[in-house]
Amino acid sequence: MLYRDALNLALEHALEHDHRVVLLGEDVGFYGGNYKVTEGLYAKYGPKRVIDTPIAENSIVGTAVGMAMMGLRPVAEIMTANFSMLAMDQIVNQMPKLRYMSGGKVFLPLVVRMPQGVAKQLGSQHSQSLEHLFASIPGLYVLCASDAVSAYHVLLYAIRMDDPVLFLEHVLLYGVDFPFEPLEGFDPFRARILREGRDVTVVSYLKMTHDVLKASQWLEEREGISCEVIDLLSLRPIDFETIYGSVKKTKRLVVVYEAPKTLGLGAEVSARVSEELFYFLDAPPLRIAGEEVPIPYNRKLELMAIPTPEKVYAQIVQWGRRHGL
Amino acid sequence: MDYEILMPQFSDTMEVGRVARWLKKEGDFVERGEVIAEIEAEKAVMELQSFKRGLLKRILVREGQEVPVGRPIALMELGERIEEVRRPTAPPTEERKAVPPPIEEAPKVVPTKPPERVELPSGFASPYARLLAKEMGLELEELQKEGRLPSPAHAKDVEGLLRERYFTPKALELLKEYELRAEDLIRALPDRKIDEDTLLAYVEREGIPKRLPVSSVQKSLISNLSKSFVLPHYHIYEVFDLSQIPWDKDITLTHWLIKIVGDAMQFFERLRALFKEDYYLLYPHSNVGVAMAVGEELYAPVIKEVNRKGLKEIAQEVRELKKKAEEGRLSLEELQGGTLTISNLGMFGIRSFDAVIPYGQVCIIAVGMQDEKGMAHITFTFDHRVVNGFHGALFVKHLKEKVLDRNYIRFLKKV
Repeated sequence: MLYRDALNLALEHALEHDHRVVLLGEDVGFYGGNYKVTEGLYAKYGPKRVIDTPIAENSIVGTAVGMAMMGLRPVAEIMTANFSMLAMDQIVNQMPKLRYMSGGKVFLPLVVRMPQGVAKQLGSQHSQSLEHLFASIPGLYVLCASDAVSAYHVLLYAIRMDDPVLFLEHVLLYGVDFPFEPLEGFDPFRARILREGRDVTVVSYLKMTHDVLKASQWLEEREGISCEVIDLLSLRPIDFETIYGSVKKTKRLVVVYEAPKTLGLGAEVSARVSEELFYFLDAPPLRIAGEEVPIPYNRKLELMAIPTPEKVYAQIVQWGRRHGL
Repeated sequence: MDYEILMPQFSDTMEVGRVARWLKKEGDFVERGEVIAEIEAEKAVMELQSFKRGLLKRILVREGQEVPVGRPIALMELGERIEEVRRPTAPPTEERKAVPPPIEEAPKVVPTKPPERVELPSGFASPYARLLAKEMGLELEELQKEGRLPSPAHAKDVEGLLRERYFTPKALELLKEYELRAEDLIRALPDRKIDEDTLLAYVEREGIPKRLPVSSVQKSLISNLSKSFVLPHYHIYEVFDLSQIPWDKDITLTHWLIKIVGDAMQFFERLRALFKEDYYLLYPHSNVGVAMAVGEELYAPVIKEVNRKGLKEIAQEVRELKKKAEEGRLSLEELQGGTLTISNLGMFGIRSFDAVIPYGQVCIIAVGMQDEKGMAHITFTFDHRVVNGFHGALFVKHLKEKVLDRNYIRFLKKV
């Protein structure tokens, strides 16, 4: 099942079984969504449940916040994470605060969906990964999904929550075909161990998870380095328990993410692991991340600016050699 | 675009192949038809020839690795031989990094020069190495001053030292076989060097199982037998009077039976058949497989056109095939094409047994021990889809008569 179809399935399921669920965003209705995630839902549920909005991101999220306060369960779509900057007042000043400031009296069952990441030559202003901005705000839940199974279950879980959730997707994953199966009792707050290993714990999320899986296969086949790959579905809160458990076993940590290295999510993960497990570490944690540049348009430069399976492979090999693996 | 060399399918039943040996290395120029690698599959070793000419750019699969049929195992840059001008001996890593390949390919940014290991004055160690050393009672700093540990020391260095200090080399090998952790043993058997005998005694006391990997030959045997065992089959048991057969050390009973069965097959076309769902493929000649144990493995190479060959020729061929099997050099050609196989366990004093038909064949004949009167129990297993009971019975009857036909036996002996 395509990633986008899994998201569509989750939205349709929610619309079908809960009359309070509404979708809103730019072109989510008649056009079916810029990335075709909401395709067919407008025809089925009509303009009152699937609402086309003007190009006004702050208003989209603001409207959704109001809807949620008054008892609906809105799912707002921002066309890409880059445009969410225009909605930062609502996302930072309203969404995370209202539950706390009302002493828990106001419920905010709200999901704001948005894709992010480097696609193919969309230019600096359309290629950013901004998860670290959102994941640093108390009061927000930041969830994401790396394949069809997680896309369906995490999004559905997010819609059913009574708290505000920011749901991140990756532009390049929409057209990827993944195996799909419905699961019982899926918990997005528990990180998934997608590959067991004994030498290195590699933490990743969204599209980078797939690059890491590919690199770990090469590492195993060519270098005999066995990686344990952890896929985060929740970026706030992060499931440190699973990460600690794995690092206690492997004694080594690598975090791979697409955003620039400085102050990214990997900084937090490696700092926490260093705080908690310092005496169990056999090497300094390694971050493999994007370069400190706005993403270039030129395809070759664009690929140079972000981690690829080849870079993940090479950097883990080099780091291993430097630090006695 | 690079040309992908795929794992070929050498036979209908082949699903995975193992790269036994690369005969070319990265950067070699390959002519069309040149052998690039040796592939092991279905118990045989085959040569992989190149269909194209060009530069062998990258090897994706290391020796000994198993790969499903159709998966790329190497990349080639097609074209004529280009002199060294375009390819400096070691392209700088930076230049390679600059052109990351499409995502679907194998890693290209291979560090050409291993980066330097971090080096510090003695006294440094990773936190975990320190923990480990403390647990094991090692004085890290002293060992570093003596030069027996690097600085900074990592877990691997400490573990290596522990192994060296507490284990003999033989014992270390055994550790792997029994999947034991060195630290556990040092804790269990403190304050002494652990040699082979100590380790074996420990293993016996604790009842720890040994790990014996399944060989690729056995894997292919298992997969084929599992497929053929579920096919509809039946047995015919019969006692044969083999007293007329004058076998000796050079031409054994097995050799005789190959010849006699091969001749008998000429009268029964269904025993020379391959089942193809809608039709049978009937071969003109009798191709008889012989089951032979070589070390731990079972092979069943095929003697082709038995009906046209003499006893001595057959005996010679069986011996040659056995030798090849021992050297692991049986070709697929030599393992394929049989429709019937003979398995003889009589020499071990086995009175009677039945066997599983090799996948794709029609019949297997299980020969038991000859008693003092020359009688032997023989079990026939037939594929019911090809040979019905009636034909099976006729074939067995025909064979029974043949082994008693003195003129025929005398004739065979002369040829």
